[in-house]
Amino acid sequence: MKVGKKRKNLRSFSIGLVVLAGVFLWSSPETAEAERPYRVGFAVPLTGAFGKDGALVKDAYLFWQETVNAQGGIEVKKKRYPVELIYYDDKSEPQSSAKLVEKLITEDKVDLILGGFGSSQVIAASAVSEKFRYPMTCGAASTLKLFDRGFQYYFSLLGKAPEEVRGCIEILPTLTPRPTTAAIIGANIPFSADAADGFRAYAPKFGIKVIHFELFPMAMTDYNSLLNKVKGKKPDVLLVGSHSLVAIRVMKGLKEVDFTPQGVFFSYGPTVPDFLNSLGKDGEYVFAASEWTPNLPYRDHVFGTARDFNNQYIKRFGRAPDFVEAASVAGALVQLQALQELEFTPPLKDADREKIMKFFYSKRFDNFYGPIRFGPDGANEIHPPVVVQVQGGKLVHVFPPDTAEGKPVYPMKPWKKR
Amino acid sequence: MILFWQSLINGLLLGGIYAACSAGFSLAFGVMGVVNLSHGDFVMLGAFITYWIFILAGIDPFLTLPFTFLILFFLGFFLQRLTINRLVGSPPIMSYLLTFGLHLVLSNLALRAWTADFRTVQTSYSGLTMSFAGLVIPYSRLATFIMAMVVILGLYFLLYRTETGRLIRATAQDREMAQLMGVKIFKIYTLTFALAAAITGLAGSLISFTFVIHPQMGLPFTITAFCVVVLGGMGYVPGTLWGGIILGLVESLATTYLTAGISVAITFFLLLIMLVTRPQGILGKGVVEWSKGS
Repeated sequence: MKVGKKRKNLRSFSIGLVVLAGVFLWSSPETAEAERPYRVGFAVPLTGAFGKDGALVKDAYLFWQETVNAQGGIEVKKKRYPVELIYYDDKSEPQSSAKLVEKLITEDKVDLILGGFGSSQVIAASAVSEKFRYPMTCGAASTLKLFDRGFQYYFSLLGKAPEEVRGCIEILPTLTPRPTTAAIIGANIPFSADAADGFRAYAPKFGIKVIHFELFPMAMTDYNSLLNKVKGKKPDVLLVGSHSLVAIRVMKGLKEVDFTPQGVFFSYGPTVPDFLNSLGKDGEYVFAASEWTPNLPYRDHVFGTARDFNNQYIKRFGRAPDFVEAASVAGALVQLQALQELEFTPPLKDADREKIMKFFYSKRFDNFYGPIRFGPDGANEIHPPVVVQVQGGKLVHVFPPDTAEGKPVYPMKPWKKR
Repeated sequence: MILFWQSLINGLLLGGIYAACSAGFSLAFGVMGVVNLSHGDFVMLGAFITYWIFILAGIDPFLTLPFTFLILFFLGFFLQRLTINRLVGSPPIMSYLLTFGLHLVLSNLALRAWTADFRTVQTSYSGLTMSFAGLVIPYSRLATFIMAMVVILGLYFLLYRTETGRLIRATAQDREMAQLMGVKIFKIYTLTFALAAAITGLAGSLISFTFVIHPQMGLPFTITAFCVVVLGGMGYVPGTLWGGIILGLVESLATTYLTAGISVAITFFLLLIMLVTRPQGILGKGVVEWSKGS
């Protein structure tokens, strides 16, 4: 009796299962079509020398995805499609970055590719996206080598590295006492070496004499002897081609050799939260090149104003966004705009991506990050560089004066008087 | 002229840091013939222990040294018992593989636990300096240099003036003969490796003042230790002081009078010349070939 009841139950259950499966199969093609998200991939350093800088870019893309999905997804042809992010840690290794982008394209079948962090990694990764004809937008690499390859599918939200640091030179004649000499040092890797070259190229145009120029290997961990040599030449200002790790080491070294130039300018580093977190008051007064600050008068329909973007970001991550995070999100926004205006639904075809590439060259874009127009080499031609300074533990936009929120504090207070 | 003397002082102090970070490497190699490729990760762990005790308990970094010593001693003890002891008598390649594996495990565990953030120990006296006849000497580096001397002298005393040291040296000289004489060599190995880990951890604590701390900071210290030990004589512990100082001076003077770009290359060039012409080290007391008993 019991066995019979069990069998009956089992039969009912089986029938129910078959019916359910039938319903599911019947309805699945349409449901899948409607819910197939845009698959977006990127490889970024989460470990290694650029692990911390790369993690910022990852946060930026996550924030973009969460915001877009919270708004119901990307609306195309009156339907909304969510964004699915697939990303990998390239361990700060260019060859690994290239392999992972290939994996994203060939195995994960992503619709779109976003750029990672760091010029060396992005040079390698963008060669793969170029080969597969995926337009890559990147907000965190700017070495000149990225732009002289004749690539069609690489787009940078940042200006070229030497352009990025132009603001740090333009501000010098406005300071009192006006500096006349500079020493330039930089890590000998693509971005920071280009930034150092940028400092050197612009300095004479603004009446600054370069009295020392030296690049050093990333493998060097102790900067005291180098900084001591620079100290002996008594430059008014020190200009550094850097990433965050280099910037932290330079500041520690400056204090240890008791060298206070009137001003210290970094191409990158002080805007990464780790800089101030680890240096505290010893990070005061330094200047850094930037491309975006939240007080700039830019806006779009996804994030609102630059200030809104900043505030939402702080709410999400408990810290303010760096300019490379803003630039990375801006790149993702431009890709989103292309999908909407060209009305491409997922999955994207090769021909769609070619049209997106052409679309990127065709017009000027404006969003919370500011104006964007890609030149023939893929660089953002119209984004003005800005300068920020650490004042009272915060980054203050100090140049150009028409958009600045504060005045530069200059000269730096000597270490022994702090 | 001041530049020259300042460069010399910088090199000397840097050499002290290098020596402190390399003594444990030399000890483990000298006694056990183990080229410990996870050596730099002990430096990293020492730095993190000091960092966390300083951040969480507010204890002065110098007072964290006993904690670091004890924690790393026990870590070394267990690692030796669980893994390295199994390799005694195996070809050297096995120790490379095992310790490189340990390096990957330790650095990735640290990465998972503490993320890739760059951290520094910022005390009220961080980076403070004293001036002497126009020369600048950072206190923290001077303290590290003095501690390096103390650690190496202490180690020297232990090895050459105590009964335990005699047993360690006997084991290092001839494992089988020591065993026949009743030395419990596995105990000696465990003690040696634990001690090597502990003094390396101490060095890590000391450099936390001056270097940026992150989970992947270890490997460069392994490479530096290798250079220092080749210069000072492989397996000859007091030689690490000389090796460290020579390396520090060469790097500093090369940076000052040539370019920073060439200083790292010069280090490796020096290493190559030493290996080819004088593998027993500057003082000639290093182990040239590890063949006895292992």
